[in-house]
Amino acid sequence: MTLLVVATYPVIDGPVLEGPVTLEPDGVIAIAGTRVPSSQGTSAMLGAACQVASHLKIAAPYALVAGDIGRGDGTRHVYERLPEVAARLRPSAVAFHYMQPVMALMRHAVHRLAEVVPDALLVADAGGMYAAKAAGLATRFELMTPDVGEVGFLADPEVTHPAYVSHYLFGNDGFDPVALARRAHETGGASRVLLIKGVRDHIACEGEVVEAIDEPCVPELEAIGGTGDTVTGLACAFLAAGFPTIDAARCACLANREAGRAMGATPAMRARDLVSALPGALSENLCRWGGACVV
Amino acid sequence: MQLFGRKEPKRSPGADEALGLFLFDAVNDALGAERTLKAVGYDVTLVAPPARLRAGCDLSVALPRFEHVGAARTLAEAGVHVRDWIDDAEGTAEVCDLVTTVDFGEWLMVRAGNMKIVVEKATGTIVNTSGGGCPDIPYLNLALVGRRIDEVTRPKDLGYTLCGLMLDRAYVEACAQLDGRDACAPAGGDAR
Repeated sequence: MTLLVVATYPVIDGPVLEGPVTLEPDGVIAIAGTRVPSSQGTSAMLGAACQVASHLKIAAPYALVAGDIGRGDGTRHVYERLPEVAARLRPSAVAFHYMQPVMALMRHAVHRLAEVVPDALLVADAGGMYAAKAAGLATRFELMTPDVGEVGFLADPEVTHPAYVSHYLFGNDGFDPVALARRAHETGGASRVLLIKGVRDHIACEGEVVEAIDEPCVPELEAIGGTGDTVTGLACAFLAAGFPTIDAARCACLANREAGRAMGATPAMRARDLVSALPGALSENLCRWGGACVV
Repeated sequence: MQLFGRKEPKRSPGADEALGLFLFDAVNDALGAERTLKAVGYDVTLVAPPARLRAGCDLSVALPRFEHVGAARTLAEAGVHVRDWIDDAEGTAEVCDLVTTVDFGEWLMVRAGNMKIVVEKATGTIVNTSGGGCPDIPYLNLALVGRRIDEVTRPKDLGYTLCGLMLDRAYVEACAQLDGRDACAPAGGDAR
């Protein structure tokens, strides 16, 4: 069972990189041996997924990425390669992450994946999630991992990017994840399961919140770029390992929070600090959280 | 402490006039057009194109129809690529102006829409950026984090997408909240 991550990395004109992901001793990730810059975004997501793979002794995540700084060139390159890579790799889960949110490209990709890997579970976060929702494809996805602001976007059928989310979805106390998860499901803007990241994480299945997780409470994590990406990477890796989706989402939330607590998070820390704290959090708790006990 | 704020609604440019739209292939073309047109005195607004014309990460520039010809010439002279002009601004949406501030003691976090920036109050150093999902966001993270807010190039001038634009709004708000610091880089255009 393999996780395929489709995304970009922040290097101008960076070539397409494809292969297993490794986490180097200095915390930088490498794809088929090529190191990519450590930042928020997909590098944080992949780092967290690597830690799960290492802990569970399963195949490392496999990445298909290209350099893109927002001009969409790398995004187009990975979409071009995706059907061939998926047909060869036969992943159990395919995750779309930081990408230019182009609806037409996502439509084509989902159509082709249904042909070549019909049983693969689809996951989306970041630009991949924006494109999937905007293109009307959200219901084809097993899991999306919005934050509380982004779930307002998923719940708003009129908009194609979170920058245009409607004011009326922002209540007096901010976004209401419970109501918005239901609305997103009803309007076709949500995957089957939503992991809504926030001060309190919510896991919703077909529009109904089934779990809310708020301990340990580490508010500083919201300020650290990439700590939402690490939640996504954890959930994807658990899913690819065979965890039921809700269990994967729950374990991801708990592991991220526990690692944040263990590292003594401050707003000036980095996502790689959290990735470094994950092995301890997993080895001490995963058996208790999810029933996946490694001997 | 969390402070919720919302900017006063902007009055659309030429609110009493019928509006048209410049459409673009890329967000940074729209940002360049806004900058160019404002620099010569046009009163324009960045908006989402009508749903039927959206491809995903879209941004268009609205201005009164009667100014179309002169504005188009200005953009052509400046080398800004325009995909099209439409005479109908029906169905557009303005960019989100929701701003939230969280005070972490030594650090200030400002959230604008789906983007966040965190600044160390004592030094003005940007210690984190987060949120978003477009590919320029990790690029901006590498460019901004670890540098002082009054030394960096504005996200709007470095980025290419709507996420980059929202990060610029968070950046401008962070500058405004750092008392006594004339922090914001001048940049090419007004972020508001």
